[in-house]
Amino acid sequence: MNTTTPRQPDTQQGVAEAKPGKYLTFRLGNESYGIPVLKVREIIRLCPITPVANMPKHVKGVINLRGKVIPLVDLRAKFGLPIAEENDRSCIVVTQIIAPRSGTRLYGVIVDGVEEVANFLGSDIEPTPDFGGSIDAQFITGMAKATDGVKMLIDLDRISAADGIAASDIL
Amino acid sequence: MTPDPFVAIGQAHNLLQKLGLELAFVDPLEENGLDGVDGLVRQLESVLAQAPEPIPTALLVARTWIDGRLAIDGRLSAVTIARFLVWQPWLDAAVNAWEDLAPIPTLPPVWLESNWLESIGPQSAPATSTPEPQHAVLTPDAVVKVAVSDAVTAAALVSAPAPVTPSVLVPAALSDQTVSVIPADSDSEMLQLFCAEAQDLLQEIEQGVLVLEGNPTDAGSIDSLFRAFHTLKGNVGIMKLNFLQQLTHELESLLDAARQGTFRLGRDAITVILGGADILKRFVAELANQINGVEPGRSIALPIPAMIASVHSLLSKGSIPVASPSVAPVPAVAAPAALLPASLPPPASLPPPASLPPPASLPPPASKASPAATPVGGAGIVRVDTLKLDGLIDLVGELVIAQSMVVQNPELTSISSAHLSRCLSQLRGITTDLQRMAMSLRMVPIRNTFQKVARLVRDLAVQQGKEIQLVLEGEDTELDRIIVEELSDPLIHMIRNSADHGIEMPDARVAAGKLRTGTITLKAYHQGGFIVIQIQDNGRGLDATRIFAKAVERGLVSADQNLDRRGIYDLIFAPGFSTTEHVTDLSGRGVGMDVVRRNIEKLRGKIEIDSRAGEGTTFTLYLPLTLAIIEGVLVGVGEERYVIPTLSVRESFRPLPGMVTTVHGRGEMVNVRGHLTPILRLGEHLHTPFNVTDPTQGIIVVVESGQDARCLFVDELIGKQEVVIKSLGDTFRNQTDFAGAAILGDGRVGLILNVNALVKLQQAKPLGDTAV
Repeated sequence: MNTTTPRQPDTQQGVAEAKPGKYLTFRLGNESYGIPVLKVREIIRLCPITPVANMPKHVKGVINLRGKVIPLVDLRAKFGLPIAEENDRSCIVVTQIIAPRSGTRLYGVIVDGVEEVANFLGSDIEPTPDFGGSIDAQFITGMAKATDGVKMLIDLDRISAADGIAASDIL
Repeated sequence: MTPDPFVAIGQAHNLLQKLGLELAFVDPLEENGLDGVDGLVRQLESVLAQAPEPIPTALLVARTWIDGRLAIDGRLSAVTIARFLVWQPWLDAAVNAWEDLAPIPTLPPVWLESNWLESIGPQSAPATSTPEPQHAVLTPDAVVKVAVSDAVTAAALVSAPAPVTPSVLVPAALSDQTVSVIPADSDSEMLQLFCAEAQDLLQEIEQGVLVLEGNPTDAGSIDSLFRAFHTLKGNVGIMKLNFLQQLTHELESLLDAARQGTFRLGRDAITVILGGADILKRFVAELANQINGVEPGRSIALPIPAMIASVHSLLSKGSIPVASPSVAPVPAVAAPAALLPASLPPPASLPPPASLPPPASLPPPASKASPAATPVGGAGIVRVDTLKLDGLIDLVGELVIAQSMVVQNPELTSISSAHLSRCLSQLRGITTDLQRMAMSLRMVPIRNTFQKVARLVRDLAVQQGKEIQLVLEGEDTELDRIIVEELSDPLIHMIRNSADHGIEMPDARVAAGKLRTGTITLKAYHQGGFIVIQIQDNGRGLDATRIFAKAVERGLVSADQNLDRRGIYDLIFAPGFSTTEHVTDLSGRGVGMDVVRRNIEKLRGKIEIDSRAGEGTTFTLYLPLTLAIIEGVLVGVGEERYVIPTLSVRESFRPLPGMVTTVHGRGEMVNVRGHLTPILRLGEHLHTPFNVTDPTQGIIVVVESGQDARCLFVDELIGKQEVVIKSLGDTFRNQTDFAGAAILGDGRVGLILNVNALVKLQQAKPLGDTAV
């Protein structure tokens, strides 16, 4: 089942993959992350979640987005961040990802709060530093320098592609 | 030839064909009956604007007729119909002549005289189709129709029924003709349209041929076959597929001869027609593949010359005088290899070719009635991209959910207003209707699949020298399009089994005191929210002892195992099972029934067998109406609710104390009607909090998959509900507990349990057999 290991080497060549452009930035715990704004379909409030058994911890379950059943993940669990209480700024970012098999589909991400849409120039983005073999790094496509700190730019396509594989690994 | 006339001729052919149909079905007394004809003539006028004389004059003549009727009452009087019945074949012949660059027939001078028409009574012969000029001469290697001038004058037709000239066949060798599939400078959209239409036509041809086999003189079928080949010829002409044009032309001539009564269709002719259709089918299939990017540009070899040769030889030796009144009763369907007595109706009932003057010889309107028997599909049908259709159905599903969320909203239900509740119930009614309508869009009749079977049974019977009659019932039963597609292979496999293993050789049947002819009945009907498909043969039946012995031999069961009859029959679904001593190319390789069962289960259906030695076997398939909706039992575990497909639920009950026993090393078992069945505590298995631990306080739901069963232990039974199935998507592709998700009435997502996987769980653990 390891045939679809994410394209790790690319990120560790020291070249930033993230392209300049507009990013939606959001908070997870004390850290800031960014995803390309073109990937964002909408932002909704927290809603009832139906858990799905025997899945990796970060896959919270499924939600009903106006009649569509979409998976919901908690990136804090994925990145090994401490689980924070949900507060009134918590929300779900519904993104459009490209899945290896079924093409474009929706993917919900729980975040602790949405910050802003920021425009990052090429000069703002730096390659991911070597975190010393931490597995998180494979989902980070670059670091963007903003006025209020550094945003980690992440690739949700890779994260979602790894969901199914992880599921079989834990079983 | 410039592309313009080419397109115009193709369109004109289509329009003329439509006009023929319109005329065949029109009712002289119908109000506005003229509209259809008027519209078609208008289109013809615009299409044929560039045509050489006297075609425009002919159109002008038609226009004066129509305007004359419009000025009176807008009805298409019998006289006007008669006029058009002459006019339409003339124009067809003229367009054909134009197409072939031949001299165009002159306009019958009578048309220009105002009093000519009143002397004509109703004509029938050319009513249903677009006849070729009757005395078309077949030249050996091309499709050159020499339209003899004044093609429709009756004198020529009546006096010379012109037996189709057995043309001399010259192709040097009858080896397959290699053709490149995609014609040069064609655009893919045209090709796709051509493919789709050709497939429909070929299907129609196959159906028609099978009807003809039962009744070789069925004028309606001959007409519809002729029409189909004629349209095909026109289409391949437009696509410039010249090599096919000759083949279609020859087959069309054969049918035309049959239509005229100068040739009788025997079994050999039917085989030739089917063979020709098969060549076309192969070509179209290859074309479809190449359009979709499978090895574009590859050429294929087709036995076209050989086929054309056999048509020629048929025509030359089968050409018989019209007067050969050998009428014989015709056996039902798919009689054995023995040739059907080719028969013709007595000459009296033959519709003679159309005649103009003298009006005294009015042919009986025989062929006019016949088209009703073969309804012409395609009327008012729109082709829609399936993606759009599925999108629409998804949206309607969402609408239904949103509607129920509104109606069940607690804030809304607290308002006591008669007006509001009326509005809400109206909303509910409309959404339900809308959903039903949307679902019906996906439904197609199972007819086409059944027709394939009819062809198969015929071929099998001929190949094996058996006599098999196929009885079809309920072909109009509608199923989800995807189910119909997926059903085709398993169905064909089971029919093969019935024909190969079930039905005995004729002599063996007689020896067993049965009718020589075996019967396979294929039925489809609704029953309790499911579609039931039954395949019944009156052959030798399943031999339980032999099946059991074979299963022991193959190591599928142990010899001391005690199985009941049903249990033994179920063994034929085991992978690698086959009892035939010798493998035929039809069946018996033992890769069959397990695949059949798997396919049926994939469609969320199930399959049952019943058999009586010596009397026959019945396979019964239970299938859901649609794949989009599932009827489920809603169960609760803690806060969560799960849907169990109703088809998999055998029973549910609250166990009494003492029914549940803990077997050492095997876990909990419950005694269900004498069978100890293992319990699966759903809450524990799914790691979800649950409220009930004491079995006597909860509910046991017995679910089954194949012959295995398992008891699911849940907190409560909530009810039965129809839910729209939603896929869980890639993220959950590796989990096996759930088959999908559904939006429940309160807007939350409920998961649909994958019963097959849950039942099979036991096989991984050392739980052993369920039957004790």
